Amino acid sequence: MKLPNNGANHKTNRYKLLAIIIAVAALVVLPFCIESGYIKHLIIMACIGTILGMTFSMLYSAGLITLGAAAFYAVGAYTSTVLVMYAGLSFWVALPLTVMISAIMALGFGALFVRNAGVAFVIISLIFAQVIVIAIGQAEFLGGWGGIIGIPRPDSLGPVEFATKHDFYYLILAFLLLVVVVYTALYSSRIGRAWRAIKLSPNLAGTLGINAYRYRLLAYVIGSTTAAVAGCFYAHYFQNITPGAFSGWLSIYVQLYAVLGGLEFYILGPAIGAVIMTFVPEYLRVVKEIEPIITGILLLIIILFFPGGILGTIRNSANVSFEGFDARVKKIKASLTGKR
Amino acid sequence: MSLGLFIQLLVNALTIGSIYILMVLGLDIILRGTKILNFAHGQLYMLGAYVLFLFFQTLHLNFALSLVLSGASLALIGALSYLGIFAVLSRRFTVSTTFSYILLLSAMASVGLMMILQQGTLLVFGTQERGIQSPLPQIIDVFNVRISLMRLIIIFLSLLICICLYLLMYKTTFGKILRAVSYDPEAVTLQGINTSWVFVSCFALGSALAGLAGGIIAPLFSVTPSMGQNIIFMSFLVLLVGGIGSYRGTIAGGLLVGLLLSFGFQFMGGIAELFVFMLVIIILVFRPGGLLGEAAE
Repeated sequence: MKLPNNGANHKTNRYKLLAIIIAVAALVVLPFCIESGYIKHLIIMACIGTILGMTFSMLYSAGLITLGAAAFYAVGAYTSTVLVMYAGLSFWVALPLTVMISAIMALGFGALFVRNAGVAFVIISLIFAQVIVIAIGQAEFLGGWGGIIGIPRPDSLGPVEFATKHDFYYLILAFLLLVVVVYTALYSSRIGRAWRAIKLSPNLAGTLGINAYRYRLLAYVIGSTTAAVAGCFYAHYFQNITPGAFSGWLSIYVQLYAVLGGLEFYILGPAIGAVIMTFVPEYLRVVKEIEPIITGILLLIIILFFPGGILGTIRNSANVSFEGFDARVKKIKASLTGKR
Repeated sequence: MSLGLFIQLLVNALTIGSIYILMVLGLDIILRGTKILNFAHGQLYMLGAYVLFLFFQTLHLNFALSLVLSGASLALIGALSYLGIFAVLSRRFTVSTTFSYILLLSAMASVGLMMILQQGTLLVFGTQERGIQSPLPQIIDVFNVRISLMRLIIIFLSLLICICLYLLMYKTTFGKILRAVSYDPEAVTLQGINTSWVFVSCFALGSALAGLAGGIIAPLFSVTPSMGQNIIFMSFLVLLVGGIGSYRGTIAGGLLVGLLLSFGFQFMGGIAELFVFMLVIIILVFRPGGLLGEAAE
């Protein structure tokens, strides 16, 4: 395994920075290159999927497997809707309030759930997501199973009126980049290292003075809050929400994103997985009847034969070719020096 | 509450409770033996019902024989899926693979299997409900309470299967190996036992239990492609309540959830499921490993 270089190799870092700048620039100009409104909608949905996928990856980095990404996605969507429609708040006031409310909820429920790491956590997170949906469906003031329609758009922010898909795209892109920056900072901090240690071995991490329970709870709260932000955006973008949109199967799709893109890549993996899982089923619509079968077979193929996901496979093959290259260079050098 | 209503609700509770118990025993055997959290379990249950439909309704075989056949065919389907998917997957895991990785990949593989089975069944049988003629349509009177004989038969059959399972797990060498593998596969290998077939039979046994559960319940409810998706959440819930890795806990959990759901739906309506979930959370606060299980990790 390659150790991370701590700024020792300036050249690589410079290339990395350049790649990031180019990627962000490409994302910024992307909507101008696309005319179809439907494709734009799919891109926005892929961005939401990426955020949800990254919350899954964050919990996975701490050794927790959640199937409940949809739970706080729904909580965020409904909290923000209630705050805006019933309390008459502006979207920009409701957003931080939603974050606070869902963080408190995540702390309360997480304190109970995270105690049972392992299989029990997987199951309880899945059931929790399902129960949230049932609870919303039963609540009359939340619109019941019919949902809520006519959720207002976010209030205009200066000249930006949030009337077109462009504006929404830039809003979700801003959220996405914020999440990426925060998560990257977390992963490279002591917290991120503690998470990885816990994932590797909870007992070993415990002997090193890491309180696995607290760090896992922290990951749960951060992940859930992020999902709530995505839900908040979704409600005001879609302008109508139904409990059915947040069913437990959504969470299973979310973890597909991470597995498909590559589990070791906490940021890029979910992004690539979400883009693929958003667009491929759309083009498989032609064969709608067997679409889930194809998706299932693709999933099995990825899991069985490409263990690192898409990015892992690319990196492995690149490493092999680079190693081969290095070895050849060394051989040539050795042969040259040997001749001398 | 009148005595009649009470008895009726009790019988209903025992019926659904016994189906949950069969489902969850299968889930638990698979989870403990092969470390797979089987999301396709609901689909195996659904397939069991469809196989029974084929043998009993279409081919007009005897009900008991159809039930045995549906269990056997599901064991075969389970064994084949294990060999085709999970055996290939587990070859990649080594001693240093983290538990969360194994758990996640096996669970995702079972999600893939679930998608294929679900949509495959939908394509073959269509979306319409299939009713199965009850083999015992008689209604019996107990204290002026009308109870369908089929429900009593379901409870009796589930009890019979549980007893057979108990004898298999605790009185035979095969059961001993199965239980040993769920504690420590490596130690079993060190004893000179070839464990690869044990994993296959674990999965086959679990699948057969799901198939039997589906087959038993089929005459009572109609057979639909969505029946698998509906039961899997509750089965997971029962697994949690009872405690992972405790067969007695599973039985207690199944009965408890059955009773709560049956009486809850009568007196609270739709929020009964929420109530059950709240109760499960409270149970988990005091007993993190479930009713009779031990807290792991």
